[in-house]
Amino acid sequence: MSKLNSVIRHEYMTIVRQPSFWIAMVATPLIIGAVILLTNIGNQSSAARIEELAKELRNVAIIDESTLINEQVVTGSGLALSPSSEKAELIEAVRDEKKAALVVYPEDLAGERTYDIYLSSNDLTINNSVHSLANNLLETSVFLPLGSADVIALAQNGAETKVTTYHHGEETAGINEYIVPGLFVVLFYIVFMFSVGYMLTSVSEEKENRSMEMVLTYVKPRHLIVGKLLAVTLVTFTQIAFFILLAGVSLLVMHILGNTIALPAGISLEQLVFDPVAIAYAAGYFVVGFLLFAGFMTATAAAAPSSKEANNFSAVFYVGAFIPFYFIMTILTDPENPIVRFLTFFPITSPVVSMVRNAVGNMGPIESALSLIVMTGFMVISIWVAVRAFSLGALEFSQTIKLRSLFSRKA
Amino acid sequence: MKTPIISVKDFHLSIGSKKIVDSLSFDVHSGEVFAFLGANGSGKTSTIRSLLRIYEPTSGDLLIDGKPFSSERGYLIGYLPEERGLYTRSKVLDTMIYFGELKGMTRAEAREFSLKFLERVDLADKADTKIKKLSGGQQQKIQLGVAVMGDPKVLILDEPTKGLDPVNRKLLLDIVDEQQEKGAAVIYITHLMEEVERLADRLLILKDGKARAYGTVKAVKQEFKSKSIEEIFVTIYNEKSAEVARV
Repeated sequence: MSKLNSVIRHEYMTIVRQPSFWIAMVATPLIIGAVILLTNIGNQSSAARIEELAKELRNVAIIDESTLINEQVVTGSGLALSPSSEKAELIEAVRDEKKAALVVYPEDLAGERTYDIYLSSNDLTINNSVHSLANNLLETSVFLPLGSADVIALAQNGAETKVTTYHHGEETAGINEYIVPGLFVVLFYIVFMFSVGYMLTSVSEEKENRSMEMVLTYVKPRHLIVGKLLAVTLVTFTQIAFFILLAGVSLLVMHILGNTIALPAGISLEQLVFDPVAIAYAAGYFVVGFLLFAGFMTATAAAAPSSKEANNFSAVFYVGAFIPFYFIMTILTDPENPIVRFLTFFPITSPVVSMVRNAVGNMGPIESALSLIVMTGFMVISIWVAVRAFSLGALEFSQTIKLRSLFSRKA
Repeated sequence: MKTPIISVKDFHLSIGSKKIVDSLSFDVHSGEVFAFLGANGSGKTSTIRSLLRIYEPTSGDLLIDGKPFSSERGYLIGYLPEERGLYTRSKVLDTMIYFGELKGMTRAEAREFSLKFLERVDLADKADTKIKKLSGGQQQKIQLGVAVMGDPKVLILDEPTKGLDPVNRKLLLDIVDEQQEKGAAVIYITHLMEEVERLADRLLILKDGKARAYGTVKAVKQEFKSKSIEEIFVTIYNEKSAEVARV
């Protein structure tokens, strides 16, 4: 037991002492925050934005053959409508870089739903700005006859929905029932991207730096693998605790500053449902799925002769873990579909598919239990294969361990 | 007669269809340096790995202190393998303490030993340095420190002086002498025959998985009517086939 403790402590400390571990942990929420911020900024569209763009793009010509564009909107932007007869001349002006751009709304714009933009350069920024300007001129012109600014905003941005859902005649929390077990899916991917790879690195580096033979003199392969798995599990808990702490601090800061978080329609923090059965299954799929992939990674690292080759082989599991995204609508809406059934029990896809289906409640109690049992079986097999591959491949530095030797050759 | 600390009897090892070691028997006693010699691929490393149960022997008895080795009895062994290396991203002292714990020492014991050893080999100032920042020779000294931690009863050194300068080579050989004086049995694997002449009490020369010469250095020399181990080694490896010379 004390040796196992030593392995766990050594592996855990080796990972958490790496600056890259903390840099990745801090950088990830920062990058996500920055992306959200940039997306919000990028999505801003208003009269002010049109004006801003127009200031930058005074040299843009507009031709409206559709009669859908409101002249006041154009002139309000500091631009002017040009007659259709000048089209050829203006295209030449753009070609000669005398005009920055020309926008032509054709006669049958409503039918074809296509309009032309001529640009004097390949500059992506100008391209994007002209496109935004033209789109905003069109949107604002089309919505203007609606009247008040509120109605225009409603037509442009839509309205929030307040959903009331009933199940067996009882009012339910609707989408709020899915959120808590659904968070395990998000958490799984975060942990998968961060932690599962540590098993691969830990084993393949130990092979590559040739420390394996000294270690195996004093520790059984089984204990070494279990120690590494438990250490990576502890690292995972550290990461989860860090992210929870970060989320808590962010919420507190926003609360102090008096800001609220804009949640998607229908989601309310006050109405979140904590269903113990769904959460227990989600936690089960999460832990077993994590160990399943950790076992795959360990076996891959042990069987491959170098970390480079181990990384190449492991791509299969990374790709496999994201396969459920290609079938997400089928998984959510058609649980009886044979593909969904297959993905629910196929080892590489089963953790995510089971977690998603558990979150939205489209698995019956028998299927839920069965998927967890089958997944646990695959997890045990993956760890057995990992230990076996490790016993055979730990001291094999020149070639990949063949699959059949896992079942035939003495370690 | 004194009971050997290592006893190998009729040991066979095959991996797949390939015969690696064929009917090998030898003993090693406490307090002696036993030179285990052979060309690359002769089966030396496989024998050691089988002795330490890293490989499962096909048949035969391989005993350390009267029992087959298991990692629970790691405290008996100090092993400097041929394929050696350390955790390059870990610090020197942390690495030594980790291996000390794996050998059954307490953290405090491992720390105390490590600090003394680092002082002895003039690396005390490197205790908090990452292994990857050490030179090859410095890393080799750390590996020797790991091997001799806890004064093991059996010290297995596979080409321990490879890559060392003369000063550090002498330091390493002095440490081996000390371990021998403390009563450790030393299995010494090397291609440098002058080291065998200087250190070894007895030797075994392995060729194609079979013992070709085995006994005290003096007796093997008499058997082969030669004054040097190197000459005997070359003679054995130039023979197309040879009977086991047991002295």
